[in-house]
Amino acid sequence: MTNVILGRFLQAFLLLLVMSLIGFIGIHSAGNPVYNIVNVETASAEDIREATIALGLDQPLWVQYVRFLENVGTGNFGTSYIYHLPAFGLLLSKLPATFELAFLAMLPAAPIGTGLGLLAGRHPGSILDGLILRSSVFALSIPSFWLSMMLILLGAIFTGWFPSGGRGETLSFLGQNWSFLTLDGLRHLALPVLALAIPNIALIARLARSGTVEVERLDFTRFCRAKGLSPSRILFRHTLPNISIPIVTIVGLQFGGMLAFAVVVESIFAWPGIGKLLIDSIQLLDRPVVMATLTFVSAVFVLLNALVDITYSILDPRVRVSV
Amino acid sequence: MKLEADRPPLLEVRNLSVRYLAKGGPMTIVRDVSFDLRRGEILGIIGESGAGKSTLGNAIIGLLDPNFEPPEGEIRLNGKAVVNGREREALRGRKIASVFQDHTASLDPLMTVGSQLAETILATGRKASRKQAQALAIELMGRVGIQDPERRFISYPHQLSGGQRQRVVIAMALAGSPEIIVADEPTSALDTTIQMQILRLLRRLVDEEMVSIVLVTHDMGVISEIADRVLVMKDGQVVEEDTTSSVLETPKNSYTRSLLAAVPRLRISDARQAKHHEEHERAPILLVEGVSKAFSTSGMRFLGRRSEKFALQNVSLRLARGAVAGIVGESGSGKTTIGRIVAGLETANAGSIVLDRAKYDVSLRGSKNGLLGRVQMIFQDPASSLNPRMTISEALVESVRFGLKARSENKVPGVEAMMDRIGLSKNLLNRYPHQLSGGQKQRVCIARALLAGPGIVIADEPTSALDVSVQSEIIALLRECVMEQNLSMLFISHDLAVVQDICDFVYIMKDGRVEDSGPSRSIFAQSDNPYTHSLIEARPRRFIQ
Repeated sequence: MTNVILGRFLQAFLLLLVMSLIGFIGIHSAGNPVYNIVNVETASAEDIREATIALGLDQPLWVQYVRFLENVGTGNFGTSYIYHLPAFGLLLSKLPATFELAFLAMLPAAPIGTGLGLLAGRHPGSILDGLILRSSVFALSIPSFWLSMMLILLGAIFTGWFPSGGRGETLSFLGQNWSFLTLDGLRHLALPVLALAIPNIALIARLARSGTVEVERLDFTRFCRAKGLSPSRILFRHTLPNISIPIVTIVGLQFGGMLAFAVVVESIFAWPGIGKLLIDSIQLLDRPVVMATLTFVSAVFVLLNALVDITYSILDPRVRVSV
Repeated sequence: MKLEADRPPLLEVRNLSVRYLAKGGPMTIVRDVSFDLRRGEILGIIGESGAGKSTLGNAIIGLLDPNFEPPEGEIRLNGKAVVNGREREALRGRKIASVFQDHTASLDPLMTVGSQLAETILATGRKASRKQAQALAIELMGRVGIQDPERRFISYPHQLSGGQRQRVVIAMALAGSPEIIVADEPTSALDTTIQMQILRLLRRLVDEEMVSIVLVTHDMGVISEIADRVLVMKDGQVVEEDTTSSVLETPKNSYTRSLLAAVPRLRISDARQAKHHEEHERAPILLVEGVSKAFSTSGMRFLGRRSEKFALQNVSLRLARGAVAGIVGESGSGKTTIGRIVAGLETANAGSIVLDRAKYDVSLRGSKNGLLGRVQMIFQDPASSLNPRMTISEALVESVRFGLKARSENKVPGVEAMMDRIGLSKNLLNRYPHQLSGGQKQRVCIARALLAGPGIVIADEPTSALDVSVQSEIIALLRECVMEQNLSMLFISHDLAVVQDICDFVYIMKDGRVEDSGPSRSIFAQSDNPYTHSLIEARPRRFIQ
């Protein structure tokens, strides 16, 4: 057990290192940030040189990277070139918005998707199955910007039920601002949450359906029927746990994905989250913020994967033996 | 007893026909079957694959797959007609319970066996609290002979042995106090010694608990041990019905007679001695010496202690040129592992293999040490050992062109001649594997092994997936090939009688060691090894001579 945990930590550390190197080289190749910082029209060559030296950009790339690592070692990701705020603090201030969005999207998506998948998979080939399958293909294939705009059109412009963007009123809790604590905030959350939840429902439903079809073919579900168990008991007590491992995996991955890369939805709904911060920072070549965000995202994925593995061993006693 | 005569039979099946909705129109699987099941008896239904016996069993439980038409005819339970629908569902588990063949697949892997049992008790309508259901479950587990039921209650299926799992399955069948248990091949997935224990348990349940059993099986041995009466089925019809002893002793139907004749018999009485020793004395083509293999433990090991567990421990074998040596053992004995090591498919930690006077390094895989190809294998399941997308001809030609003989440029017997040799028509050459029967596929596998021109052939349970009548044909074919082509063969099997039939010398393996060995004619009669004796005792008495 200790071996496994130790191995995991080593793996996570290497992953973070590789990830940071790729990000560092990537953002370096994208261009020189100095031109975004000084006023290109008025600055003299002298000004530009001074700014370059001040940011440490005159050093060779590997020296810059080593300095970056040294700083990270002390918990410092540097100061944003644009906002002149600590990069990691900037990231933290955006985290609650993204987190509540992703969490509220996955909260209904996982059970609804699983439920639809179970319903469809119980009678493969039935009308209900066809309906669920077809609508899931549809939901998965529409681009998220189109889905978001249609939601704005229907939910905000035609009916006026929900606001079309922004976070609305927020309430401070644990030192951060949260939208879900106020009624107005919840109304602002509704549309972006839907835009993120719908494709996830479709994805999870398809996964649950194929799992259900597979498990219902196995001998033990047949044996459960022979024992005299009711169909609902078989479905929820036997089939559901047996299909849940791939579902847990995809829920974990999708949740991580929404935390980092819900850029399109966040942009359309003017939601000040991490995805939007990342894209803006890349455009402005704001290296400290980009690096802080990428490192954070990698760490989140490592953490989610560990959580998924722990869930496996809770779900499946056969996994417990080998861990 | 007087009462019994007045009451209708427990289960009456009248003119039952079941049709399967195949693509080319409905196919009749069970045709006009009628029989009675009396109280307190075991009725055996025997037949080969495709006889419709399992379909008949499923029709009685009411669990036919959706691609079957609703059965025609009548099923009466205690004189009352059983109709499909809600009423039928209420019978399941309560009046008619079932036991399936595959004990591993019958249990939900994610739930403790105790909870599965308690859930069955609650579902089959007993008024009990959770606590009471648990107590009942533990009591049931004790009744089906599970040791230490309180501890086993919280075990998951994978933590139990095969025999224990099947006992749990039987306990679940008993949970609703049913009148009938339909048992479909309940012991076919178990080792012989365990098989006999489970059969005795079933017999005891019938004698003590007033249940009746419909026992569906392909195995005459199982029937001979516990059935009171037998129904012999062929192509969906009942060809003979009688008490077990009359069917076994004076079979009236020719099909029954051929089924009985095909059952391999263990010969103990005619232990002719001495004569056979000479074959084993001849120069060996294969010498396996002191092969050991530890279980591979995966994962990072830099902190953990290494536990020494052996799959094989100091195994030595000797195979004379032109002879057949048998390796017998139960599951987990290592018989398959040693076969795979000799074939170069697996590595070992220690020991050596000498094949045809050349020594091979067992710590390397076959492609590195050169064993691969010199040894050919015939596997248990012919269906999965042939590439479904290659025609028979392609499969055989591949063997000739890329086998060892081709490399050494010797003359290779043609594919067509080989088809002749193994008794298959040349018309089959352009067919695909799924268009052949199981027996035909196994013949192709044999041909494929022979065409590669191997030093030795390893046959790993080559007949276990086949019907009895086909089994004896395949054994006969293998024996002919050995005689004609001076072939040397390692024959791996769990079946003592089959091994005795074809082998010159027998090794008996247990827990990764060679437990006993001797010439096949005399070992079973003369050995004083207790394990060998327990294997013999686990065989149906009627088929020992």
